[in-house]
Amino acid sequence: MKTSTFLNFLFLLIYKHKSKHIAISLISILIVFLISSVLFISSSIQKEVFNTLDAQSDFVVQRINSGKIINTPNSWIEDFSDINGVENTQQRVYGQYFFEPSQKYFTIVGIDLFEESTNKNVKKLLQILNIEDFLEKDSMIIGNGVKEVLKEFHYFDDYSFKLHNRELKKISIFKALPKDANILANDLIIMDISLAKEILNINEDESTDIVLNIPNELEHSNIKIELILKHLDIRVIQKEDIKKAYENLYNYKGGLFLILFIIVMITFVLILFQRYTMISSSDKKEIGILRAVGWSIKDVIKLKIFETFIIAFISFLIGIILAYIFVFFLDAPILSNIFLGFHNLENSVSFSPNINFSTISTLFLFFIIPFISAVLIPTWKIAVIEPSESMK
Amino acid sequence: MIKVNNLNKVFNQNTKKEFKALKDINIEIQSSTCVILKGVSGSGKSTLLSILGALSKPSSGDIIINNDSIAKLPDLHSSAFRAKNLGFIFQSYNLFNELNVEENISIPLVPLGFSQKEINQKVQTALTLANIEHKKDETVSNLSGGEKQRTAIARALVNNPDIILCDEPTANLDNANSLKFIEVMRKLKELNKTIIIATHDPIFDKLDFVDDTINIKDGEIT
Repeated sequence: MKTSTFLNFLFLLIYKHKSKHIAISLISILIVFLISSVLFISSSIQKEVFNTLDAQSDFVVQRINSGKIINTPNSWIEDFSDINGVENTQQRVYGQYFFEPSQKYFTIVGIDLFEESTNKNVKKLLQILNIEDFLEKDSMIIGNGVKEVLKEFHYFDDYSFKLHNRELKKISIFKALPKDANILANDLIIMDISLAKEILNINEDESTDIVLNIPNELEHSNIKIELILKHLDIRVIQKEDIKKAYENLYNYKGGLFLILFIIVMITFVLILFQRYTMISSSDKKEIGILRAVGWSIKDVIKLKIFETFIIAFISFLIGIILAYIFVFFLDAPILSNIFLGFHNLENSVSFSPNINFSTISTLFLFFIIPFISAVLIPTWKIAVIEPSESMK
Repeated sequence: MIKVNNLNKVFNQNTKKEFKALKDINIEIQSSTCVILKGVSGSGKSTLLSILGALSKPSSGDIIINNDSIAKLPDLHSSAFRAKNLGFIFQSYNLFNELNVEENISIPLVPLGFSQKEINQKVQTALTLANIEHKKDETVSNLSGGEKQRTAIARALVNNPDIILCDEPTANLDNANSLKFIEVMRKLKELNKTIIIATHDPIFDKLDFVDDTINIKDGEIT
């Protein structure tokens, strides 16, 4: 069989039978679109989260009292710095602030602008910040969610925080974070560390927790023990544990979608199988005609494999392209909430493309093989019938 | 030459519904002759025609066409045999309604390895021979019965086969189109084709180019 004439006939047949393929193509496109959208969202968030985590310190030390996390004395910084192998020990200040007018929570993060060992993300922020202007008056940088809420109540330039002593602390809005940061910083308010302490009612000589780095990974478990020996009332959290927790979270969510995908795929294959098993008399007749005019079973099967592959491939491609547009251009409305959760602040997230081609290839195989099998088995059953029977 | 020896066809063999469609058929058809298989509906003429055309297999017996036994050929060989030696014209035309005339006629040539240029040439010849050239771009669903029949004839002729098998070719045609069909058959006979027509239409009685009439009744030659 000459490939060019065969392909000519194949495309002619697909084109002329387009109405027959539309329903199956639409279902296929929808399945691929949903699954690949989930994959795109999941890999984009994971990348974002892991990039942020990579910039974080190796260990977080919190103080526990009666099972409750309480503020950590800054004197511990020196205690921990004395341990061999420990680097960049520093305080962290953060906490939630209840914004009464809209009953929402903001997360206040205090940063030490003059601390050299400040983490990579903060350093990046400092590059776009004119520190002198920022420090000239009490200022803050706010996430987009915070900006929208404040705007709603006509706080465009500044906002007065309520302190523990019922006094008000007016802070200027220096700028809003870029939209790309929304996944992690939508509800964030970044300000100088002393201001943050004042608003969150943390003593000057205390912090929320202490972070430190241990460059030698082999020493992690030893140093963890030494940290506990220094102060028994502490909880030590390793970056690896946080990463694992995130991985589990996304694997769990991804797993749910995988189960969903398998269920949808099985249903789809059953529909396809039934569609071709209860093959219409015209389909059956077509195969009979081809056989009657000299096509062998092999020729008919080849035609059907190519026809099915092309339909499945085009559907897959359209599904992937639509998912790409939906996630990376339209920011995946509705679906993004399933992954990000419904926040206390409305979050309009921008996903940055992070496509894992091996996942796409696996998805392609899991889609195409059942698709082709579901069509071919019934087609083969008809092709082996005597042409005089199938043409009846 | 086509030689049929002790041919039997039994449907639903060894079941309660067992039915003997053909019983010990023995016939010889010489090359370049036109033979009519005549019988009422259900007499077994279409079954015999489909076995002669390698579209179904006999339960027993043999069919020898040009010294080749085709009764038990495996699929690949029987398909190749059909493609090269036989042209079928069916009662219900059996065309692809969504394709146009030209596309339908080219279908038998696709698996044979011809280039597109060769296919176009062969299709053109068949179109002229069947007198349907003027409708070559027309979709089959828009054709009249007679035009569909001529398209089916062109498809049967496209690979220049030696044997043309026609199953009730005039059953769906009016008298004028039936006469046109007969004229095409006459032309094919002049081209030394072996023509076998299964029919019960009296229009084929006493045609000057018909060499033999084989009567079938209840699956037996009478």
